[in-house]
Amino acid sequence: MLLGTSAAAALGGVLAGFGTSQAVAGPATAAAPAQQGPQYLPFHGKYQSGILDAPQAHAVFVGWNLNWRDGGKKDQLRSLLKMITDDAQRLTAGRGVLADTEAEMAAGPSDLTLTVGVGQSLLDVMGGAKVGTLPGFAGDKLHKRYGQSDLLIQFCGQDPTVLAHAVRAVSKNLRGLADKQFIQRGFMHQRGSGDTFRNLFGQVDGVNNPQGETRELAVFGTPDQPSWIANGTTLALRRFEMDLEGWDEVATSGRDFALGRRQSDGSPLTGSVPEDPVDLDAVNEVGLPVIGANSHVALAMPRSAQEAIHRRGYNFVDVEASGLLFASYQRDPATSFIPLQRRLAEADLLNTWLTPRGSALYAILPGIEPGMYLGQQLLG
Amino acid sequence: MNTKNTLKTTAALLGLGLLLTGCAQDGANATGAAASESPATQASSLQASETWAKAAQTGMTAAFGVLHNAGSTDIELAKVEDQAGNVIQIHETTGTGTDAKMSQLDGALKIEAGKDAVLEPGGTHLMYMDLKAPLVASETASLTLSFSDGSSTEVPFEVRNFTGAKESYENHGGMDHGSMDHESMNHDG
Ligand code: HEM
Ligand SMILES: [Cu+2]
Repeated sequence: MLLGTSAAAALGGVLAGFGTSQAVAGPATAAAPAQQGPQYLPFHGKYQSGILDAPQAHAVFVGWNLNWRDGGKKDQLRSLLKMITDDAQRLTAGRGVLADTEAEMAAGPSDLTLTVGVGQSLLDVMGGAKVGTLPGFAGDKLHKRYGQSDLLIQFCGQDPTVLAHAVRAVSKNLRGLADKQFIQRGFMHQRGSGDTFRNLFGQVDGVNNPQGETRELAVFGTPDQPSWIANGTTLALRRFEMDLEGWDEVATSGRDFALGRRQSDGSPLTGSVPEDPVDLDAVNEVGLPVIGANSHVALAMPRSAQEAIHRRGYNFVDVEASGLLFASYQRDPATSFIPLQRRLAEADLLNTWLTPRGSALYAILPGIEPGMYLGQQLLG
Repeated sequence: MNTKNTLKTTAALLGLGLLLTGCAQDGANATGAAASESPATQASSLQASETWAKAAQTGMTAAFGVLHNAGSTDIELAKVEDQAGNVIQIHETTGTGTDAKMSQLDGALKIEAGKDAVLEPGGTHLMYMDLKAPLVASETASLTLSFSDGSSTEVPFEVRNFTGAKESYENHGGMDHGSMDHESMNHDG
């Protein structure tokens, strides 16, 4: 899936901020939501919620594999998606699902969003569309359980209790119809800190995420050059364990060099505030690049508009490990996430302290109007 | 009871199916016809919402929901049927705690004008006595509700997993389980 020239030009124009000379106002301020308490976020719309929105403080990514019965798979998938649609619109409005034994827990605005995606296995059942699966990357030491599943729901919200209920309610309704493959919980700073958060390395993460219209283009493309379907997108979900013990031994200067930005405030080594441009051409007194070629930001910086991704990852702490649930939304992973991840997997200085444990790719279904169900554009 | 005078309603219900159940957020919780035309039949006064049935492979199971009478006169739910020809009774629960018993309602279920009949686990419910085919979670079961004036309407019930009411239906037959749970109430069906 390649961008046509006109669409590429359109994207390129808006994505000017991705060059080495970022001219526009700082990303941290661009899309900062007006300070307000949690709400009931709309479920219906052009796109699903939980993608372009400012990230909520808590997230649970749940992957399921379907148990097929005799008879047509399409019909089974349709009724399952209808049920999930009904569940999601109830839960995001603060109501229990049908047959809910703890509907009280659903009440209270918490910016709850449910974002539904399907793996290629289900896209095949729906007919036609292709997003594929993620290839293996250098350094992968994957745990099977954090690999590709048929179905994924990203649950996000500000209140972990409301969130836990939502996950449980949907899981109960799916009992028998699908088996849970993984449940991955994540957290970050409260809403109000903008789109950036401290990851568990202590770094300010999310600074150079595309904002506003740029984000929308990176995630959903244009009417001419949409994602795999109009108003749909893709989600790459990668689970990275961090070697925090090893990280402890690295001096601040070494940490900052590995990233290309300062841990103190997120500013690039070629600037003094986070919004300053990442300048890969800048050299120091002795002629060496200020930002090393193998630093994370140098390798991660999009080489073209087509490489742009929107990151919406979360920290995780488990009994065995801590790290980052890397989640990114992009129009076409083949031109963005995959080449980017390849570049990073091969040379990123941060890899010394990272172990990839999970890897999966999902087709995120387009948004729907009231009266429709998720996937209806494909299943009719 | 063969006079089906609610073809229009039925068609609309079939067409809209499950999705109406999700609309209650904006107050549009009706899956029945509003009582706007006259002369209103009892069926046209019914607004059903939150309707669901408990998934089951075989044997007994039940259907629940809120039946609202939007009309200005009382209505009486007399009979419940489905396409598969299942025997479906209207059950009520009497007594509380260990004395609670569920039994077939004597006569019709009366819903006063403007009032709701709430069908819920542990209360009044529609009971499938012996399923002819499984009710599969996520699918929709359609029930034809017939009223004492001979009018009827078809209402979709979303099939959902529900373990709370399991044992009672399996142990149907009037055995005493000595538990306060709905699921172990006696059935005097
Ligand atoms: C645990 C793994 C990772 C950590 C801890 C991490 C951390 C960071 C940090 C701290 C920044 C700088 C601030 C910012 O602009 O957000 C950054 C930038 C970025 N990262 Fe990562 N990252 C990880 C994995 C990845 C992966 C797997 C990808 C994509 C395949 C990626 C893509 C990017 C991009 C596109 C940028 C912005 C570069 C720019 O334009 O300046 N990161 N990351
Ligand atoms: Cu009963």
